[in-house]
Amino acid sequence: MASVSANFVCSRTSVRLLNQMMTSKSLRLATVGWGRTPGFPRLTSSRFQISCAAKKETVDKVCEIVRKQLALPADKEITPQTTFTDLGADSLDTVEIVMGLEEEFDITVQEDNQDNISCIQEAADLIEQLVASKS
Amino acid sequence: MATKPTRREVLSLFRSLMRTAREFTDYNIREYTKRRTVDAFRHNRKLSDPAEVAAAFADGKSQLGVAKRQAVVYSLYAPSIKSVMEM
Repeated sequence: MASVSANFVCSRTSVRLLNQMMTSKSLRLATVGWGRTPGFPRLTSSRFQISCAAKKETVDKVCEIVRKQLALPADKEITPQTTFTDLGADSLDTVEIVMGLEEEFDITVQEDNQDNISCIQEAADLIEQLVASKS
Repeated sequence: MATKPTRREVLSLFRSLMRTAREFTDYNIREYTKRRTVDAFRHNRKLSDPAEVAAAFADGKSQLGVAKRQAVVYSLYAPSIKSVMEM
């Protein structure tokens, strides 16, 4: 993740993206700094993990689309780690979900990328990556 | 007769059909294509006989050809206003 964000800072100069990267980069720098003292990082490190991987809104949108596609009841719990097969989706459902995500975020997912998507977190990460590389 | 298509090929055909459906300018045809591909693939999901599977796959491929050509033709006569369903 760190190397990817470094690339963005070098090649793209849009201010908005820089701000985004700055906030995430500053969070990561803080983690490195705190690593020296034992006991302290435990509380903060789990939080940093989530915010650096994919934005919460993206994960929420993905969950929403998955829920609608598989017609899940409203009380069914969906965490970022739930795989699609857990929710009772077969490969056709997975392709449909990816299509829905492509439409929602206006991206194009390649064949080989699509095979790697198995859980919601991975889908959100891939979306973030594609959206960032497109803009 | 063609040999039984692999899972990847089948999914690839499914994706191609859905992608082609997106290119239609007409809302109704777009929705129909998506609906029909989903229904057809689900209906044929349990097929096990290789000959049947190959026949269904060949049928799907020819339909994909039809859809692609029609998408081009329809785009020549696309209406300028959006359908009310899309608003």
